Amino acid sequence: MSDNAGSDRLRVLAEQAGLGRALEKFPDGVKAAAERGLRPLGDHPKGYDPVAHPAPVFDPTLFERGT
Amino acid sequence: MTDLAWLAVAEGSALVRAGKLSPVEWTQALLDRVAAVDPAYNSFLAVTADLALAQAKQAEAEIAKGEWRGPMHGVPYAAKDIFDVEGLPTTCHSKIRIGHRARFDAFTIRRLREAGAVLIGKTALHEFATGGPAFDLPWPPARNPWNRDRHPGGSSSGSGAALAAGLVPAALGTDTGGSVRNPATCCGIVGIKPTYGAVSLAGVFPLTHSLDHVGPMTRNVEDNAILYQAIAGHDPDDPTSTWRPVDDCLKDLKSGIKGLRIGVIEHFYTEDAKADPDQVRGINAAIDVLRRLGARVRTVRLSPLPLWTDCNRTIHASEAYAIHERDLQSRPEDFAMLTRNRMLPGAFVPASKYIKAQQLRAALCREFDEAMQGLDAVVTLSSLLMPCAIDDTAAVLRTYDQQCRLVFNVTGTAAISVPTGFSADGMPLAMQIAGRSFSEPTIYRIAQAYCEAAGTCIGSDPKTQPKLISAARPAAAE
Repeated sequence: MSDNAGSDRLRVLAEQAGLGRALEKFPDGVKAAAERGLRPLGDHPKGYDPVAHPAPVFDPTLFERGT
Repeated sequence: MTDLAWLAVAEGSALVRAGKLSPVEWTQALLDRVAAVDPAYNSFLAVTADLALAQAKQAEAEIAKGEWRGPMHGVPYAAKDIFDVEGLPTTCHSKIRIGHRARFDAFTIRRLREAGAVLIGKTALHEFATGGPAFDLPWPPARNPWNRDRHPGGSSSGSGAALAAGLVPAALGTDTGGSVRNPATCCGIVGIKPTYGAVSLAGVFPLTHSLDHVGPMTRNVEDNAILYQAIAGHDPDDPTSTWRPVDDCLKDLKSGIKGLRIGVIEHFYTEDAKADPDQVRGINAAIDVLRRLGARVRTVRLSPLPLWTDCNRTIHASEAYAIHERDLQSRPEDFAMLTRNRMLPGAFVPASKYIKAQQLRAALCREFDEAMQGLDAVVTLSSLLMPCAIDDTAAVLRTYDQQCRLVFNVTGTAAISVPTGFSADGMPLAMQIAGRSFSEPTIYRIAQAYCEAAGTCIGSDPKTQPKLISAARPAAAE
């Protein structure tokens, strides 16, 4: 992707997120943030298939297991 | 009697109860010391001298009448300026919060008020409990009492610095990715991140909703357990607060660790990342002490450290951005650069990535639970590296995630940082002791046995204390 296309994409992403002002004042910070935010997550542990496991409902009482 | 600056909670409390020490005298001595010493360390954002003296006088009168409320009665403490105290601003060390005034006490502040504790003041932090030591905010960052040019850790930096400088015997911090344990590590004190739900988050300004924890910070393990007992317990105003009764962490605190089974998560610092040799030397020596005390030690494996970091940081960025979105959109320049750079990635995390991070969290929690079968606790490093120069922004950014603390924010289980000695250049070293949910009594017991045997905690002996510099020294980076 050319530099221009990259900066156009960043501008669109930033404006979609309502970060036009931040992009204008801190272009390097917003660029680094977009790269970091969009970076894919690492692989899940072996033997764990996220497709087969629904997103958990966060329940602190589950943490009492094992006590 | 021990110098009042270095008096521990347990010792001071016993003297107060016996009528041998006036809480007013103790409080005034610390207020005087804060005035004399803290201009060089910036631990406090606000000193609540009038409130402190009023609380101390009330405690003294009650105890004289035989109305002793418990081991925090008449004991001075400080709170990170992220806890609401009725009538006072909760600045979160941020320009964004100027003009704020809290209408109610946070649950933990109320608990300590009811316990008769004495609030000396509110301590500095990394803005909104993230980012790093910033020089582009209305207040300077807290400094490390062991070397004021080095990072004091954070985000509960002021609480850590105040304890190490002998300004208070107890303090409150918060921990989302290690923010109690990092200043504990860097300042050579003791800090615990209790089990998620064990201590109410009500009245504490959130960084993230599912990773935040409130944690006690002290100079020794027994004091930490005392403070924990005072603030733990169910709070109907916090939906994440557990109904589980609070375990007694003091009953078996000094009963030793003979026969306890301890795992070492060694690959975090020997394979997954390059750790500072001094930190590794510190934990290896500490493991030898645990063995000598009768613990049965073996290594355990979990997923590689970078996967835990990825999981924590994705949730952290997304949830923190959700809280600060409006201000980051409308007034991004009012945040410190380090804070802004920490929070902005959350704007770009797709919903699918956040959901996958929560799925990953469930998988990692299960993995940890399985690894803990047959173990009473695990130990690993806290910081992989030594604290960098406080004003070296590039180093702060580079080292921010070089740590093993955020693992236990992902699992929500208890983890404590205890000092393991000093580096060649005199900076504190530390390790973490962690366990299952609600394993605080076991964690404290191991920490107590280790610290007592190793003698690594700051105490009344001047050899264990940092050599503080004169407040008149000009600040290099301010």
